[in-house]
Amino acid sequence: MLSLTLREMRAHARRLAGTSLAVVLGVAFLTGTLVLGATLRSNFDDLITEANASTDVVVRGATDLGLNQPRGLVDRSLVDTVAAIDGVAVAEPVVSGFGQLIGSDGEAVGGNGPPQIAGSWTTDPELNPYRLAEGRAPEGDGEVVVNRRAASEGGLDIGDTTTLLTPEPVEVTIVGLATFGDQDGLGGVTFTALALDDAMTHIAKSDDAVSSIAVRADDDVAQDDLADRIGAVLPAGVEATTGAAVADEAVDDIASTFLDMLTTFLTVFAGIALLVATFSIHNTFSIIVAQRTRQAALLRALGAVRGQVVRAVATEALLVGVLASLAGLAAGVGVAGLLKGLFDAAGFALPAGGIVVTAGTAVTGLLVGVLVTLAASLVPAVRASRVAPLAAIREVAAERTSPGRARVAAGVLLAGAGAALTVVAALGDGDMLALVGVGAVLTVVGAVVLGPVAARPAAQLLGAPAARLRGMTGVLARQNALRNPRRTAGTAAALMVGVAVVSLFTVFASSVKASLERTIERSFGGDLVVSAGPFGGGISPELAAEVGDLPEVDLAVGIGQGAAQVEGDTKQLSIADPADLERVLDVDVSDGSLADLSGPGAPGQPGPAAMAVSDETAESNGWEVGDVVPVTFADGRTEDLAIGATYETDDVVGGYLVPRDVWAPHSVQDVDALVIVDAADGVATADARQAVTAVAERFGGPDVEDREEFAATMTTGVDMMLGIVYVLLALAILIALMGIANTLSLAIHERTRELGLLRAVGQTRRQVRAMVRGESLVIATFGAASGIGLGLFLGWALVQAVGTATGGLGVFALPVGPLAIVLAAGAVAGVLAGLRPARRAARLDVLAAIATE
Amino acid sequence: MSGTAPATAPGTVPAPSPPAAARTVEATKVYGAGATAVVALDEVSVAFDAGRFTAIMGPSGSGKSTLMHCVAGLDSLTEGQVFLGDVELGTLSDKELTLLRRDRVGFVFQAFNLVPTLTARENIELPDRLAGRAPAAGWLDEVVRTVGLGDRLSHRPAELSGGQQQRVAVARALAGRPDIVFADEPTGNLDSRSGAELLGFLRRAVDEMGQTVVMVTHDPVAASVADSALFLADGRIVDRTESPTVAAVLDRMSSLGG
Repeated sequence: MLSLTLREMRAHARRLAGTSLAVVLGVAFLTGTLVLGATLRSNFDDLITEANASTDVVVRGATDLGLNQPRGLVDRSLVDTVAAIDGVAVAEPVVSGFGQLIGSDGEAVGGNGPPQIAGSWTTDPELNPYRLAEGRAPEGDGEVVVNRRAASEGGLDIGDTTTLLTPEPVEVTIVGLATFGDQDGLGGVTFTALALDDAMTHIAKSDDAVSSIAVRADDDVAQDDLADRIGAVLPAGVEATTGAAVADEAVDDIASTFLDMLTTFLTVFAGIALLVATFSIHNTFSIIVAQRTRQAALLRALGAVRGQVVRAVATEALLVGVLASLAGLAAGVGVAGLLKGLFDAAGFALPAGGIVVTAGTAVTGLLVGVLVTLAASLVPAVRASRVAPLAAIREVAAERTSPGRARVAAGVLLAGAGAALTVVAALGDGDMLALVGVGAVLTVVGAVVLGPVAARPAAQLLGAPAARLRGMTGVLARQNALRNPRRTAGTAAALMVGVAVVSLFTVFASSVKASLERTIERSFGGDLVVSAGPFGGGISPELAAEVGDLPEVDLAVGIGQGAAQVEGDTKQLSIADPADLERVLDVDVSDGSLADLSGPGAPGQPGPAAMAVSDETAESNGWEVGDVVPVTFADGRTEDLAIGATYETDDVVGGYLVPRDVWAPHSVQDVDALVIVDAADGVATADARQAVTAVAERFGGPDVEDREEFAATMTTGVDMMLGIVYVLLALAILIALMGIANTLSLAIHERTRELGLLRAVGQTRRQVRAMVRGESLVIATFGAASGIGLGLFLGWALVQAVGTATGGLGVFALPVGPLAIVLAAGAVAGVLAGLRPARRAARLDVLAAIATE
Repeated sequence: MSGTAPATAPGTVPAPSPPAAARTVEATKVYGAGATAVVALDEVSVAFDAGRFTAIMGPSGSGKSTLMHCVAGLDSLTEGQVFLGDVELGTLSDKELTLLRRDRVGFVFQAFNLVPTLTARENIELPDRLAGRAPAAGWLDEVVRTVGLGDRLSHRPAELSGGQQQRVAVARALAGRPDIVFADEPTGNLDSRSGAELLGFLRRAVDEMGQTVVMVTHDPVAASVADSALFLADGRIVDRTESPTVAAVLDRMSSLGG
């Protein structure tokens, strides 16, 4: 049996190659993702560990608010205390915080995700993860060293003078360029180093406190021992941590903020590609097996048991799976390189370093590829074994072409239940996302099962224009698409799934955009917004103060972002003056009053300071106005904050709104993310804008936008994300299209004689090509249209569910234009997929084709 | 189609009284090259008279199918010429040949070769539809009546018996009012009753509709329906019998070793 299988495979190498390609691509994507993740992690790990190798202990504030949240300061006098401890070779104060460098073009450098850091230049070269590559160290008076990538991105060089926003604008002169280890930077992080005193003034904003103390041990002292020794003399709220632990934290930070997200994100799309590939493979195997039905029947007639027939097909699938997965594995390493290049091109600066392929990656890729192929071939294999031995003798077309009653029943049941569950869950109260997910899966499965039922009427309908426009050629194309609804549906299913995901994202993104726009439209009372761009960044609170003083401006309110621990968990806070905020931003206060929040207690009365929380926060914590909640800030101090108000609309301010005068004493660098400006009565927006822009210029030139422009800026991030998603989904679509091309090739092989006949009775080659392309067009349009329908429905459900679950999305937007483009693209792609099979069909030799049995 | 064909090869073809629908002049077809070359047709010159039913007979490998394929424009000659009416096929491009087949030639194959996705009527109208013209209604009715398919027209091939399928094929071949109809072993897959019926239809197409039919067969009964029978052996025409009888054909065939 094995030798027969092998001979079969050799004979049909070409068909199998088409199948394999889907597996190769899917596995390559998956492996590429895993390799990229491992490679980046290892590269970052090497880079950070190496750069920090000589830092043995770090002394720092003990309160950890998590990712990228600055810790509290430590007293500078501790440096002498630490330095005096036995075993300490060097102890050096370090300042580190937010600092945005302005490039030579007046625009902020970096700021599209990775942090923008400014701090002190550590003078001990071994303690400093950065190395001076050119120029000299800063010595005060605004002298700075900048990491090389930041300098080149900002068009800056030694001797240039520019602005550093801390967030107050500081004029700085570049005196040196640095590298992080041997790289031009730590990924896309921008780093600007001042002399210690400058850094304390501008970043720590203190003359007796620093961010941390870096300690280098004597040669024979272990990190752990030294950390213990130092820890023993530190005051409460300050901790001593080993350098190794700090480096690990840094790697973990990058992993959890960036790498894990990236890998998960890519894995999802690799999964979609593999899912589509599974449909493709299943379809190809179904056809190959059906074409060999008579052979299977012959084997059965000659005494092969069912198991042997199943095994023969399974063996073939296994071999295809193994070979294709190995090829995919190899290609995946290439894909990883490609992805890295893609991200580099998109502006993510990733560290250089060798590609890392772990055994786990190889095993995962291989296993997934083989399992997917096996699973896809299982049903066809069993079907082949069920063929009656008599079929070998009888002249019958053994492939079942029309949907059975059981299929209709199962499909209607699945799709109906799925759709019903989805609708109910989407419209239900509370967090129903998981339920919507279950409903969505059921709906998709139901749609796939029902495909063959829908294929006939759909092909009838979609083929009608072709039949009308292209005459007989169009009719034949439509009839060919109709002749085997199972096959048409199976082929279209792959494209349907791919297009459904595309449509889902399109619908979701446009709804996010519409919701953002509506939020801005509804809640923003101001005329202008000063913002640091879609990724945040920092605006000095002084800007809001100065803008507020302009005669053209009635009110300017800055909104900052922060974090604090509430009942043990780190929560994101919005920082603003609540009374002013209420005048430019409508948050729909449901209880209490924002005006009463400012200052400690109600006016004139001593009492706890207050904050406001969203209705949802209040509900989930069981709080109401008047309750007092302990909040721990980065400096380690805890304040009891009374809840003074609750509000309904949280899309701008989030769950917690803390007055600026409560927040400021606990924060090192007080930063606004955006400033909402209300022009004075009778002042034209254009005039106010001119005045505000003039002020903004002095603060590093953040964008001054009217509401429409601000809305557009906020949504650019959504568009960018959607762009990346489209690129990643392109592979799944490509696999689906290859499936169509493969099916058509197989169909043409099957219909050789028919094609010969058509040519004999006068069908021109051009008509043959048009006929095959027409069939491809009908199949692709069927897949794309049903995918759009499915994606639209699931997108609607997702928007509803997310809206109810988070209160973040209120608007369902129907992106008619983009979806029309998706449909058109599907149709065009269908024609493209049909090109090669069409050429092959037209090339058939008439006589040979007629003679084919 | 008037007058006799130009005397391109005087003496080789006797001037036919009715004009020839198709003819060959020293048609030679060689498959392969060098030592393995097989001569399928060896300087065959023959004319198929318009309005007549000609049977081509011969043992397997005699070149009868090759002759038909070359005259029908499905295959090309190695040397020599083929004329369909006044047109020399060797001068035509693939596309011109295709259009010529579509517009002037009808085919009936042994394995019925219907398009399974089309109904009987659609199959019959196929050549006209491919040409983008409306089938001539009156003519089509006549053809359908001749082959006796009236009530089966909306059926697909799979719903028809072998005899019915072949009748559809004959109707398709006649539907475009071709200059000449080629039938390649049309009764080969039919039982004797269906075969006899089919031959009757082809005969009526010649007698009542004035069609020209060329049929390749090795069935003496089939050949006996024709007006004349050509006998091929080893790529040459070895005999020609007018108004053949079954006995005469059998006699001739056995002498050829077929």
